[in-house]
Amino acid sequence: MSESEQSITVDEAYEQDNDKSIKFLRPRFHAEAFPTVQIFGYVGSLVLTFAAYFLVMNHVLPVLALLIIILTLAALQAALQLGVFMHVQEGRGMAWQIIPLYLVFLIAFGMVGMSIWIMLFKSGVS
Amino acid sequence: MPSFVPYLVHTLFPPTVRLPDILLIDFGLICAGIGVIVLLTKTRRWGWLWNDWLTTVDHKKIAILYLIAALVMLMRGGIDALMLRAQLALPTTHFMPASQYDEVFTTHGTIMVFFMGMPFIFALFNAVVPLMIGARDVAFPRLNAMSYWLFAFGAILFNISFVIGGSPNAGWTAYPPYTGLAFNPGPGENYYFLALIIAGMGTTMTGINFLVTTLKMRAPGMSLMKMPMFVWSTMVTSALILFAFPPLTVALAMSLFDRLFGSHFFTLARGGMPMMYVNLFWLFGHPEVYILIIPLFGVFSEVVATFSKKMLFGYPVMVASIVAIMFLAYGTWVHHFFTMGAGPAVNAFFGLSTMLIAIPTGVKIFNWIFTMWGGRIQTTTAMLYQMAFIPVFMVGGATGILLAVVPADYQLHNSYFLVAHFHNVLIGGTLFGLLSGLYYWWPKMFGMKLNETQGKWAFWLFLIGFWVTFLPQYLLGLKGMTRRMYTYPLGFGWHDLNVISTFGAFIMGAAFVVLVYNIVWSLLYGERDLTGDPWDGRTLEWSLPSPVPEYNFPRIPVVHDRDAWWAMKQKGQSLADLRPEDVHDVEMPKNSPIPFLLGASFFVLGFGMTFAWWPIAIIGFVGIILCLLFSGFDYNDHHHLKADAIRQTEATLGRLQG
Repeated sequence: MSESEQSITVDEAYEQDNDKSIKFLRPRFHAEAFPTVQIFGYVGSLVLTFAAYFLVMNHVLPVLALLIIILTLAALQAALQLGVFMHVQEGRGMAWQIIPLYLVFLIAFGMVGMSIWIMLFKSGVS
Repeated sequence: MPSFVPYLVHTLFPPTVRLPDILLIDFGLICAGIGVIVLLTKTRRWGWLWNDWLTTVDHKKIAILYLIAALVMLMRGGIDALMLRAQLALPTTHFMPASQYDEVFTTHGTIMVFFMGMPFIFALFNAVVPLMIGARDVAFPRLNAMSYWLFAFGAILFNISFVIGGSPNAGWTAYPPYTGLAFNPGPGENYYFLALIIAGMGTTMTGINFLVTTLKMRAPGMSLMKMPMFVWSTMVTSALILFAFPPLTVALAMSLFDRLFGSHFFTLARGGMPMMYVNLFWLFGHPEVYILIIPLFGVFSEVVATFSKKMLFGYPVMVASIVAIMFLAYGTWVHHFFTMGAGPAVNAFFGLSTMLIAIPTGVKIFNWIFTMWGGRIQTTTAMLYQMAFIPVFMVGGATGILLAVVPADYQLHNSYFLVAHFHNVLIGGTLFGLLSGLYYWWPKMFGMKLNETQGKWAFWLFLIGFWVTFLPQYLLGLKGMTRRMYTYPLGFGWHDLNVISTFGAFIMGAAFVVLVYNIVWSLLYGERDLTGDPWDGRTLEWSLPSPVPEYNFPRIPVVHDRDAWWAMKQKGQSLADLRPEDVHDVEMPKNSPIPFLLGASFFVLGFGMTFAWWPIAIIGFVGIILCLLFSGFDYNDHHHLKADAIRQTEATLGRLQG
């Protein structure tokens, strides 16, 4: 605990951890020569954002189709952010990041879904 | 004289900030500022200030910084409250002009919620959570300091508004179209949006920090169901913060875009939808009221167990109910705007979900009472606040249930009944909890007890003042007085109740004065805490000396029981029997100027954007980018505290064998 952990390699640290059942969470702390994935992720997130912006601003789709498509784009965006920038695949020991992720799905979908339900009353007016 | 000077004077000091009382405050602030600078220079304390406080990443010092800020803001918000009550005491009073009244109720609400309640809660988190879970610091110490400085500079930005440029005046909820540029020009609302965005970023980071800390940094053996209740409440609050603040930031940023860049998200013209702001705001706002109460449920759970000399009754049920409250808190936000008229199905759903939340809360109330049942109760100040909290919060909760009945809400909405209800839960729950925690953990933070006699005086004044202020307001609400009225005519039958209410407010003002006297007196002459365990506590923070050394635990303890320190005491164990060979080098975070500079950069950005002075804003923005770059590539962020130094410290404290 108090010893400096510099002498342990990533693989040794992984072996010491108690929870090895979740294979995809194997730590990947190796340095990349060039951040290819991150740049693709960055460009990808911009493309997804502007796609949604274009669809909303130009009224090219009926309301229901528009709603479905921008919600899909939002889900893709969230997956991209989590996978590329938020290191969801990295970690040691117990996979604590999974629990808040369940929360995210529950709450985000609850919030978005219920907000649509609440605010729909306006659609008959304006 | 250059030609831009009149423009500057007119922009920075419009007539709204040239009222006599504000000019007097300007004078006082300038004198106080000069006084502080002179004092620091004369006593050669600048280095001490910079090295020990402004650049610190130690959670215990950050806790003290939060606490100071919270108490100062409690004073500011309290003075605002007294001004409001002075204005309303008698019919047709002209104590303040209407425009200033709007500004004062806006700043009162905003400061009490965002700049008093939140930092006070974070002060308690920072002060004890790492100690309770047997950790040496929070998970991300530098991020913790960044949170503090973002909050602090956000608070400064908000507070300078009343002397430079004019205060926000659209209420603490800042609904459009009150905030629309067409109806509300001037920098006031820009201050509100920018300060809250900056402080809100800090809060979100605190949420992340404490969620990770409580999940990942616990001492070996402390499983989730062995965590103290306060740690549970920290975890749940952090989860609430994490998901509640993004909607707020989005709503505030969109409003700001409407004002600065001509967008039309919430405007009345061009297809904007003001009610969407209300939806987004309360999507944050309802979890926020639970962010403001759940930590205090944790405080009360610790206090009641310690001072009843009993284990907390029904711990698993307490955990279950706190988690249930967390989930339900996300499903009730429409009850803040039933009168928007979203339809009977929506209103019925949210009315029911609001009533549902009373069940887990009621379970907690019963468990606190059962903890006291048969216990040996010590009526310390902290415990008095706990015992006063139960009936006060019950009344607040019961009137909340009345407001959740949708047809009744159409009558009670925005009346003084509502004002009395939320002050009932926010003072009876949040403020009493904060003060209970302050008295309980003060010895751990500062190494001396707060004087109990003076503390009890402050307590009784707060309690009596509270009831005298807010019971009449329920009746005023039923008599039809609506909130945010700047004055009212004679003959509505409101004035007698208003006089009583104002009288109560001044009793609470007296209570605050006693509290400050108590703090100052105790800092000078208070009883030193030499044992580190003045209350015969149950959780791990009491196993350490007071105040706690920089590294917290020389050796990380192993936890076997729920009330770990109590169990150790029962078995005759102690953490004060360290053997020299058990002490090793400790890795500690290094102080860093980056958090302070980052906060300052955000302040410059915010100030520039408030007045739409883009060159200043760009300077601030460049500062932020530089801070983030330096921070990102700064690998020299920790140092090793040598075992010998720790042995020496522990030996001086008499906690080392041999």
